[in-house]
Amino acid sequence: MSMANWRKYWPAVSVTLRYGALIGVGFLMLYPLLWMVGSAFKNNSEIFSTVGFIPHDPTLEGFRNGWKTSTEYTFAHYLVNTMKIVIPKVICTVISSVIVAYGFARFAIPGRKLWFALLMATVLLPKSVLLLPQYLMFRQFGWLDTYLPLYVPQAFAVEGFFVFLIIQFMRSLPRDMEEAAVMDGCNSFQVLTLVVAPVILPAIISVALFQFMWSMNDFIQPLIYLSSVGKYPVSLALKMSIDVTEATSWNEILAMSAIALAPSLILFFVAQKYFVEGVTSGAVKG
Amino acid sequence: MTKISVRLNDVTKSFGGHEVIKGVSLDVEHGELVVFVGPSGCGKSTLLRLIAGLDTPTTGALHIAGKDVTYAHPSKRGVAMVFQSYALYPHMTVEDNIGFALKIKGLAKSEIKAKVARAADILQLTPLLKRLPKALSGGQRQRVAIGRAIVREPDVFLFDEPLSNLDASLRGQMRVEIARLHASLGATSIYVTHDQVEAMTLASKIVVLNGGRIEQVGAPLDLYRNPANLFVAGFIGSPRMNILPVTLEAADGASATVATPQGTFSLPRTGVTAAQGENLSLGLRPEHLHLAQDDEPALTGQVLLVERLGGETFAYVAPDGFENQQLIVRLDGDHAVAPQDRVRLSFDPRRAHLFGEDGAALGRTEA
Amino acid sequence: MYKNKFVGALYISPFIIGFVVFTAFPFLASLILSLTDAHLQDQLSDAHFIGLDNYGAMFRDATFRKSLSVTFLYVFLTVPLKLAFALLMAVLLNFRLRAIGLFRTVYYLPSILGGSVAVAVVWRFVFAGDGLINQLLHHLHLGGVNWLGEPSTAMFSLVLLRLWEFGSAMVVFLAGLKAIPSDLYEAADLDGASRIRQFFSITLPLLTPVIFFNFIMQIVQAFQEFNGPYIITGGGPMKSSYLLPLMIYEEAFKYFQLGYASALSWVLFLIIAVFTALAFWSQSKWVFYATENPNGESRGE
Repeated sequence: MSMANWRKYWPAVSVTLRYGALIGVGFLMLYPLLWMVGSAFKNNSEIFSTVGFIPHDPTLEGFRNGWKTSTEYTFAHYLVNTMKIVIPKVICTVISSVIVAYGFARFAIPGRKLWFALLMATVLLPKSVLLLPQYLMFRQFGWLDTYLPLYVPQAFAVEGFFVFLIIQFMRSLPRDMEEAAVMDGCNSFQVLTLVVAPVILPAIISVALFQFMWSMNDFIQPLIYLSSVGKYPVSLALKMSIDVTEATSWNEILAMSAIALAPSLILFFVAQKYFVEGVTSGAVKG
Repeated sequence: MTKISVRLNDVTKSFGGHEVIKGVSLDVEHGELVVFVGPSGCGKSTLLRLIAGLDTPTTGALHIAGKDVTYAHPSKRGVAMVFQSYALYPHMTVEDNIGFALKIKGLAKSEIKAKVARAADILQLTPLLKRLPKALSGGQRQRVAIGRAIVREPDVFLFDEPLSNLDASLRGQMRVEIARLHASLGATSIYVTHDQVEAMTLASKIVVLNGGRIEQVGAPLDLYRNPANLFVAGFIGSPRMNILPVTLEAADGASATVATPQGTFSLPRTGVTAAQGENLSLGLRPEHLHLAQDDEPALTGQVLLVERLGGETFAYVAPDGFENQQLIVRLDGDHAVAPQDRVRLSFDPRRAHLFGEDGAALGRTEA
Repeated sequence: MYKNKFVGALYISPFIIGFVVFTAFPFLASLILSLTDAHLQDQLSDAHFIGLDNYGAMFRDATFRKSLSVTFLYVFLTVPLKLAFALLMAVLLNFRLRAIGLFRTVYYLPSILGGSVAVAVVWRFVFAGDGLINQLLHHLHLGGVNWLGEPSTAMFSLVLLRLWEFGSAMVVFLAGLKAIPSDLYEAADLDGASRIRQFFSITLPLLTPVIFFNFIMQIVQAFQEFNGPYIITGGGPMKSSYLLPLMIYEEAFKYFQLGYASALSWVLFLIIAVFTALAFWSQSKWVFYATENPNGESRGE
């Protein structure tokens, strides 16, 4: 009888196996991050001796020394620099993406198909091939060692993926609201800002979050454009610290790495939903 | 003794703590087309899924063609199912869709081809064999879903609301086709629907479900003429049976007399076992009410609303003396009746129904 | 919706300007640059047109050949592995699981943070001589490995980093899995197909559009990996992890060979373009698009 009834018990068994595998993989995934955070609170000798991530003698030594950094600036300075890059970048991206997307979604533009194809091409285009000429161009403008090359292009909707995301969102909106606004006397820009933008807010938030994350992680762009240490964002400062610091002050570097990741981590936990929807709406509907 | 194809023995099903099927026992005989009917949430689809093996009962037993299949795998029960959404494999042609189960079984390619061709022929799908589901109309997809079931030659066919995704005109057509199919194949079928017209026209036997329990089982006309309780009385028949609150005046072995605000009415009913003064419900179908001839005992009332459909007319009448009650009367299409008219409505007492305080039917008549 | 073409053009004008200035022009410029002997520290006007000499030099350059083979190794290892693993985890996660949000977060998190310098820095410590992995190995009484110091193992750290970031691909697969109607699986149950059979006959074919999307995204990203080699291994030891993007960077900004670096970046671009084109061309062979909703009108009940 028990063989015939195994179907009754199989669901429970398979669920247990699943959970086991999921938890196992999850732990492996998180371990490097946990180790990073834990080690940030250890003193240096402990980092080298123990494997566990919970410090025996938690200490803020790593944070204190790391914050001071071995340069003339504290870590706070680098964090502020990062914000000076990321915030303009996000704002420019959002504004230009929404405007351009509205043009594609609602206007009968001559050559629309061509421009849209070019837009999609920028999504797939490997950016590495543009890097060197862009560098020369910005050198020509005299923009080297400024933050301008990092965010000015964003004002021109160069990130096709974001425009695409917003276009998809707009296309799924029924036009009635906008037509009603036109009848009420709005011009297209008013319709966009007063009627459409509030409704597509989730998509806008997704774009902003993604661009924020990507910009926080951006490394090669600041690397080639910024030469004065005083202008370094966190990504360059961290790299500098592993070049400069003696091999043994790991806890400082790990502490600063943890701090560097903190804004992204917090934002991610708070706004997960938008990250997931942003990535999937491009893929499944696209 | 006729062969029992499907037997459910005190089956219950709970999801989480919530009991959805509350003890159902049922026999389905070989060759019958049994319809499970009931309102949304009554458990009819759940019951079908238990028979199919897509879920297993919490308690109770299920036998198909004599074998205990309570926990058997869906493909090992001798059942085939037509899903409400058809569940056609979108990336396979009609031919592959129909033949999929046979391929899994490992039949020879030539044999599969022959069986699929035969099923396609019965359902007039032969010119569509190489098409993909997305290139088919709703009615065609449904026939493919049926073909997929036929080709497996199961002991029992299961239909899960197969017509609810079709538009009204197509529904009528497909209903006729399903009836014809059942007549020619003679296979045992269990059919789930919320539409009582489908139930009445297709079923050899109807199972009325409500809140996870069987309210009544019987042939369509049985349920129409002798509903076992208020629920079945209200569910079967369109428009709904009129229900008036009355009290029992007297009952002897051969008749029952009920008291209403408009006087008493005597109904020939045997076996009425209620106490005098008890609150009862009087059931009168709209098609059993007519405008009274002068000498007939009748209910008087005022017409509130008239709906003319051409072939028939429905009048909504407020009977005098009853608070907040309304009677629907079915009249001939040409009848001149208008709102505000005063009318006298009469009925054949043998066609009246009587229900006790608990809703159960009281007594019987021969009508 | 709006009929005014001029206003419409105005709306997309930022894109048009941006495209011309920041995409089209640099694109062509890099091609032209690759045909010169431009030097980063000189004026552009001092550069000479040397035709295809840069490309010729490439194939005689042992470093380039090494970099190219290492890059291909990296891509051919990480892309299939990452996709397979992402799909596996998505399948595992795809059932009525209350904590699904939690697991999804845990797996997705690394891919969000992974591109950052902080993670690369941590990774360097994890693989260092007395770093996390070797400590673990010592605990298990297995010898330590000189991960970053041995040519044979340095690449491994980069591969592992990329695999660690499978979360974003997994999230996309999950969405694709959820889009497959569950009654297809029920019908297959009734037809007698085993779970494995169902995976290959139903799940995979219907997932092909998502697989296609993920495949292209992963290839384009993998070929352009820069942070890992630069921060963790420095391209070594002995160029065993000298991925092309790093070579391009060093040729341009360390050795100032602008023309040669541009030629390298064009070769990288062409490689990516070929793979992308192949993928698109092969679509009709293996990707199934269900353009119509096979379920018809909305359900009755």
